[in-house]
Amino acid sequence: MEVLRLQNLQKSFGSVRALKCASFALNEGEVVALLGDNGAGKSTLIKAISGVFPVDRGDIYVRGQKVSIRSTRDAMDLGIETIHQDTSLAPDLSIARNLFLGREPVNLKWLGVFAPLDLAKLRDAAAALLKRVGISKKLDADALVSTLSGGERQSIAISRAMQFAAKVIILDEPTNNLGVEETHGVLRFVKEVRAAGHSVLLITHNIHHVFQVADRIIVMRRGEIVAEQTVADTDLLTVESIITGADMSALLKETRAK
Amino acid sequence: MTIAAEEEMPRSKRRSSLIRSPQFSSLVILIVLLAVFAVADANFLSPLNISNMMAFLPELGIIALGMTLLLTAGEFDLSVGAVFGLAPVVVMLLVQNGGFDIGIALLVGLLLCIAIGAVNGLIVTKIGISSFLVTLSMLLVVRGAALYITQGFPLKSWDQPGFFVTLLAGSFNIGTFRFYTSLWWFIGLSLLAIYVLHYAKLGNWISAIGSNRNAAVARGVPADAVKVWLFILTSALAGLAGMISAFRISAASPVAGTGYELEVIAMVVVGGTALTGGRGTILGTIVGALMLRSIRNGIVLIGVPGLAYNIFVGVIILAMLILHALLQKNAARN
Ligand SMILES: Nc1ncnc2c1ncn2[C@@H]1O[C@H](COP(=O)(O)OP(=O)(O)OP(=O)(O)O)[C@@H](O)[C@H]1O
Ligand SMILES: [Mg+2]
Repeated sequence: MEVLRLQNLQKSFGSVRALKCASFALNEGEVVALLGDNGAGKSTLIKAISGVFPVDRGDIYVRGQKVSIRSTRDAMDLGIETIHQDTSLAPDLSIARNLFLGREPVNLKWLGVFAPLDLAKLRDAAAALLKRVGISKKLDADALVSTLSGGERQSIAISRAMQFAAKVIILDEPTNNLGVEETHGVLRFVKEVRAAGHSVLLITHNIHHVFQVADRIIVMRRGEIVAEQTVADTDLLTVESIITGADMSALLKETRAK
Repeated sequence: MTIAAEEEMPRSKRRSSLIRSPQFSSLVILIVLLAVFAVADANFLSPLNISNMMAFLPELGIIALGMTLLLTAGEFDLSVGAVFGLAPVVVMLLVQNGGFDIGIALLVGLLLCIAIGAVNGLIVTKIGISSFLVTLSMLLVVRGAALYITQGFPLKSWDQPGFFVTLLAGSFNIGTFRFYTSLWWFIGLSLLAIYVLHYAKLGNWISAIGSNRNAAVARGVPADAVKVWLFILTSALAGLAGMISAFRISAASPVAGTGYELEVIAMVVVGGTALTGGRGTILGTIVGALMLRSIRNGIVLIGVPGLAYNIFVGVIILAMLILHALLQKNAARN
């Protein structure tokens, strides 16, 4: 079953056409790796899906329904959780407060934004979550994020996406800056999420990771999707040459033939 | 055995982090300052002098509460001193020259402050000009407006006691101390601000916006709306403080509140709130307000020549900021 479909998304920043024309679909319980060199437009594509900025043109469908994603809140409400490449945590807040930022557990809900935080629940849920993710067992939920290492921060951001059991989880270079153990934690998490029936869009520069967890590969170059292949039908070297653009014509033909 | 040791650690860590926190060091310095002034001049702790300090304290303190929230969200407002001057001038003109009921005049004054705050906030968030430039321009516009509508003269004195005057600037005696109702306003608003910043959902948003705006927005926090409301709040509090002051001295001057914006920002940062956003403390601001007030009062009593006041105030503020910076560095190293 298809959960997300993008059709002809376009986005320019002034004269830079970061996204020329991107279309693809993501199925339920599927891990799709989005590959491409620096500046290919991967982050731009996922920012459009997660509501960071509107696209200039193109449509987005969630479970077959055409949707308009005008804000990050819209995307979250549609079940799309994103972990951005640039830090997605507030360093001056505690781990617990970051985990629930924007979705704080409160008492007296009718008070709206003035509602008191349910601090006990916040702490307990945060501690439980950190334990469940297992990639950051030593962390105190009350510690400020500014005191954490880059890898620890990444782990927190990932735990947060997991917390809200989104339909689609988008990870923009999640294993950047991570140590060996944390990297395995992330990859394990991706598999877990798939097993639970969610879909993952994974952006990474590490092709080995792709072959460990992805079902399908999409390659972008200069704002366009240039190849789409299932992992079973391809190999590491082929993918690498598509990304770098070596012998593009032959590969494109091969892709189209499918 | 090991479990006990593990449980012991975070508690002692928390205690030492409290001692290292900026509001705590500000508090220590406040106590030292009070002690020095008390020893240097016996009148410093006299009922009359304390009553005097407590009369002034709420007027700047109330503005400082709004400014703390705004700074925590990563913005600031230089137009508060001008709004402090304009609000009572407009209200009293409406009553004295326009024949309006005082209640209606106060409502108009409040709406005016709200409008000024909203304009500040909307220009900062929607057009993306820094709050320094926007509110500096607004300072000139508002101060200029106050001067123009009064032709530069203070309004004739206000001698109509009534419900609103009692509400904002009534006074009462406790023993030999004389307190103004404005102190209750300050205490009440302080408690509200502490609640909002440290215990409510909104406070979480305010700190997150100042700490990393993009991260907050990515979590669906309406950063721009929060900022606009904080500008409105700060402006409204500046107007309220202006009314309290004008009622207390029974006069409104178009130049009232000149320079208050910097004094208020000094109170806030001396208390430990970060000028760069993300870290705010209302308790620290209360300590900062008390500190600046008692410095201004104390140096007069101990006989510092009038023209030298600002040298002392400036040096003490600098020393405080250096101390905070050193503590911050120290904390980062640990
Ligand atoms: N906010 C922006 N304003 C202007 N140009 C932008 C902006 N964001 C991205 N771009 C440009 O759009 C192009 C695509 O950028 P994008 O961040 O999507 O690349 P990417 O594929 O994620 O690269 P990387 O692997 O380095 O993260 C780049 O040329 C970049 O300079
Ligand atoms: Mg990127």
